[in-house]
Amino acid sequence: MSGLASAPLVRTDALAVGYGAAPVLSDVSFDLRAGERIGVLGPNGGGKTTLFRALLGELKPLGGALDLAARCGTVPQTERSRLDFPVSALDVALMGAIAGRPWWKHPGRAERRAAREALARVGLAELADRSFGELSGGQRQRVLVARALVQDARIVLLDEPFTGLDAVSIRRLEDLLDELAGEGRGVLIATHDVEQARAWDRVLCLNRRQVAFGPPAETLSLDVLAATYGGSIVTLPAVAGEGERLALLPPHHHDHEH
Amino acid sequence: MFEAFDYPFVQRALVEVLLLSLAAGTLGTWIVVRGLAFYSHGVAAAAFPGLVLADGLGFSATLGAFGVALLFALTVGQLAARGRGGHDSLTALVLVAALAIGVVLASDVFHSGANVETLLFGSLLAVDDADIRLAIVVAALALLATWTLGQRWLAVGFDPSAARGLGVRSPAADLVLLVLIALAAVATLSAVGALLATALLVVPAATVRMATRRMLPWQLGTIVLAAAEGTAGLWLSFETNAPPGATIAVIAGGIFALVALARSAATMYTRTRGVAQPLGLRPRVAFENSPEARSRGGEGAR
Repeated sequence: MSGLASAPLVRTDALAVGYGAAPVLSDVSFDLRAGERIGVLGPNGGGKTTLFRALLGELKPLGGALDLAARCGTVPQTERSRLDFPVSALDVALMGAIAGRPWWKHPGRAERRAAREALARVGLAELADRSFGELSGGQRQRVLVARALVQDARIVLLDEPFTGLDAVSIRRLEDLLDELAGEGRGVLIATHDVEQARAWDRVLCLNRRQVAFGPPAETLSLDVLAATYGGSIVTLPAVAGEGERLALLPPHHHDHEH
Repeated sequence: MFEAFDYPFVQRALVEVLLLSLAAGTLGTWIVVRGLAFYSHGVAAAAFPGLVLADGLGFSATLGAFGVALLFALTVGQLAARGRGGHDSLTALVLVAALAIGVVLASDVFHSGANVETLLFGSLLAVDDADIRLAIVVAALALLATWTLGQRWLAVGFDPSAARGLGVRSPAADLVLLVLIALAAVATLSAVGALLATALLVVPAATVRMATRRMLPWQLGTIVLAAAEGTAGLWLSFETNAPPGATIAVIAGGIFALVALARSAATMYTRTRGVAQPLGLRPRVAFENSPEARSRGGEGAR
């Protein structure tokens, strides 16, 4: 394992990405190792989704280097059109098996078994035949994780997977991510929740460029958070059952209307 | 009552409509699920100047129409492959230009005025063996491609961002779909014409979509509905002496409206009464916090 772990699954060096000539995200230099969970933090428009699109091969780097040791599996944000798609949870999981067979072939018995096993692993064995759009938000995220499992993706990207989930679903998905990392996969999770990211191995703070990268305890200082979110940070007093928490105030808008 | 079907030219038209239903039924579902309805209308309209040219210069109409339609498909395919999503405005531009060029060619260059209506709205009762051979080829290709490439078309449509990671980001598969739609549009020209091609290619699939939740039943249902609408339109046009293409389009549109009405009525009935809906017309999307989602064992209930 240590021999494998020494080679990073993802490595970028001064990576710049954008949609036109001008990069919307630049100076990104980080690496993702096997068995690691990295939280990607940043404001809306800070470049989290753009980074993922570069890792998925949708955007070509405008500058710098991007090395991937494996193809990425992805758990994208829920789009309205996807909820209306005529597919079952099993159909979605089976999409992970397409690359493994000749283009003219249909999924065989072995692939169906693999897809059902992946759904069972994420706790959805009995909902395999339910329409994707009928599942709850947390269940949909787990179906997409199952798709990445069938694909046997060594790198898994999750774009804001916890948005809109209740506490039970959040815990369940967090456990699943721990399991994926435990198997030696590299997991990148875009999130808004700074406190949640403290539990992961490293954090990557983005605000149109890389602000900081490293273990959360050392990296998530007030200065870094302020530079990442561009607002002021206040410490909230401890409430029952929880310690002090940091909160971000939105940046001040200076209106000069008279 | 059904003596219309005793006439050989009506029988021939019926064979044509049934073959086209096979092609349109399978491809129509992909058109709807991949959001290509406007493209399919555009590609059929783009074929119009090709038809006028063929008519005026005396070469095969199919060749003329398919030549122009193929050009259109490749252009759109190129733009799509470069990731410039949303080619609707381009489609609209080409559609209008094609119609305008076609009309100018027809009225001022070839003086083929009398034929223009046939080219725009089809002449189902005058199909010949070549039309039927083309319909056979297109139906066979549509079924074959659906069988072999369907999984890819579905996976890319479901989640384009994941396509590369899944190993399905091959522009070739998507281009095959665009070219097949172009071919199907050309095949339907003889039956319903350039302006009404969507009556066969899109409307039946969009209608059946409202009552099905999976690809296979949707595709089978669309083939049956397109065949039924085509047959009914053919019979009615014979009885009323109306143009068959337009009659099929009106019937297809009417049935779409009826199903849409029934579906929204069923949805409202469920919302007010909270009971299961008849006819399998349940709305497919359950929201996170709806009592319906929770009672089905959503996360919140555990």
